[in-house]
Amino acid sequence: MIDDRRKVALVVFLLALVPLFVFREGSSYVARIWTVMVFFAVLTLAVNVTFGHTDQLLLFTGSIAGVGAYATALSAGALGITPWLTFLPSALVAGLVGFLVCYVGARRQLTIIIISILTLAIQLAFISIVYGLSEITGGNTGLTFEGFALAPVRESLGLPEHFLVYYIFLLVLAGTLGVYYYLMHSKYRLAFDAIRQDDDAAEATGIDVVRYKSIAGFVSTFIIGLAGPFYAQLQGLVFPGMFTLGAIDVLVLIMLVVGGIRTMYGPVVGSFLLVYLNQQLQQFQEFKTMIFGLLLIVLFLFFQDGIVRYVDRLLRERFELEERLNRLGVR
Amino acid sequence: MIGLVVDGLSQGVVFAMLGLTITLVFGLGGVLNLATGVFGVIGVIIAARVTGIVQSPYVALVVGSMGVGALGLGVDQSLLRFVYRADEEDRVMLGIFVTLGLATFLEGLFVLFYPNPYSVPPGLETFTIEGVFIRGASVATIVVGALVFAALYLFMTHTFLGQATRTVMQDETGALLCGINTRRLRTLTFVLSTVLAAIAAIAFTFSSEIAVGSSFRLTTNAVIVAIVGGVTNLTRTVIAGIGLGIITTFASGFFGGYFSQLVLFLTAIVVLLAKSGDLA
Repeated sequence: MIDDRRKVALVVFLLALVPLFVFREGSSYVARIWTVMVFFAVLTLAVNVTFGHTDQLLLFTGSIAGVGAYATALSAGALGITPWLTFLPSALVAGLVGFLVCYVGARRQLTIIIISILTLAIQLAFISIVYGLSEITGGNTGLTFEGFALAPVRESLGLPEHFLVYYIFLLVLAGTLGVYYYLMHSKYRLAFDAIRQDDDAAEATGIDVVRYKSIAGFVSTFIIGLAGPFYAQLQGLVFPGMFTLGAIDVLVLIMLVVGGIRTMYGPVVGSFLLVYLNQQLQQFQEFKTMIFGLLLIVLFLFFQDGIVRYVDRLLRERFELEERLNRLGVR
Repeated sequence: MIGLVVDGLSQGVVFAMLGLTITLVFGLGGVLNLATGVFGVIGVIIAARVTGIVQSPYVALVVGSMGVGALGLGVDQSLLRFVYRADEEDRVMLGIFVTLGLATFLEGLFVLFYPNPYSVPPGLETFTIEGVFIRGASVATIVVGALVFAALYLFMTHTFLGQATRTVMQDETGALLCGINTRRLRTLTFVLSTVLAAIAAIAFTFSSEIAVGSSFRLTTNAVIVAIVGGVTNLTRTVIAGIGLGIITTFASGFFGGYFSQLVLFLTAIVVLLAKSGDLA
């Protein structure tokens, strides 16, 4: 079997080859779909850290991405500098929000339901602030945003624009997979597992629950805040409608469960599948909401393990069967 | 000014009823019903169709809420059966996602056939008392709300079922030991809460209109009211609803709509952080 580290490298490498074979010059349609897939894979991986591993259901993924995007665009505009300088501080701001919420939540021992409502309220407050400050944020219509275009670099390399955005996202995804790999192969894994099973027992064995929960919150929201501005670049716009519960959070949660919660590739598989499904359902646009609703119900009731674990089990059973047959000398 | 108070009170009554729909189901079964707004708007749609046939908004109110109650019964017997099967912690999580899925599904379904905003005007004009303009619709909402609260109060204090309901809210195991059938009670309260959601939404559309597409706004308002009221206490939920209704109406009267929404969310955030120890 290939070890995990090489598997990560292989996945990223394969995704890096995608544009060469799939993207077509002059048509950004296919490129957009792939880029959106990678974007959602990043978000879902981030949510996997908080919701999957530390049982913190944060229902403000959309607005955290929004914080990243708006902070990047507005500060770049106000200071008259390129967003390449502002996107990291903005992600840091997003990460701080997540850190604070998780810190307070863990300190006050908020139950999962309370923390989910709290973050939902923050999400809604964020959206109404964006609407309320329409002179600055552009309100419903939003702001145009193309600060990451990098025209000179692109022209010197001869790359079409959508290649660039895709590779930026792939870079973010690679980084996220790296972080996730680190978390899963260090003391964090142990601490997270203990916390998820029982807060109090974990505390009793000497694990600093508040610290680990806050770190998980920071890592997750930092990554989401990092992805936000590049999503805006992909859309060419920053507007509140793209950062709502329905547009981001619901999808991300479905993706996480479809792919496999608490797995490394589950979020990637889930987001690719859902974005693909979304595309296929384009001609049934009006039924889409209905189908996603049904999917959410059915998945949570009957398919909580997710595809990755399911396939894993199938493969393992097959290998074991073959091995046994070999041993028996049948073949 | 007094006109604003009346409007605020009517808004508060709607908030209170919405909050009760959450408190009832969560207090009794540990399920946060995120579909409550959609149930409400479905009630509005039925009522609006009925007013096309019978020219009475009150008949429409009854038919609409009964129709939604039937739908609620169906949901309780099918979907929630799976949710209640899970134990405490899993149930909370499962409840959130299943009702979120249900809300999304119903919203998608009803948008197909009834995409427009609907209202059920009670047919009362604005009138003046000593120079103060008072909207008839607001008064109608307040009256409906008062009747609902009175009925609910009598039910909870003077009937066996009501007392059993309160027992389960306080102590599920204790209630079981007293021989109370908790599953049947949960069905009852879920149906009751969907009927309430429909009444609340219909009373809301006495003076404004709402579309299925914005039903989640009702849900979030309901959840916030329930949270501010402490989630397991019916009286406090009503007080919280009326208080928030008056506050947001004044905020919107003086500063505009987005600001009043913001006030609502910020109140929820502050309350959640300040007294989270008492909650769930």
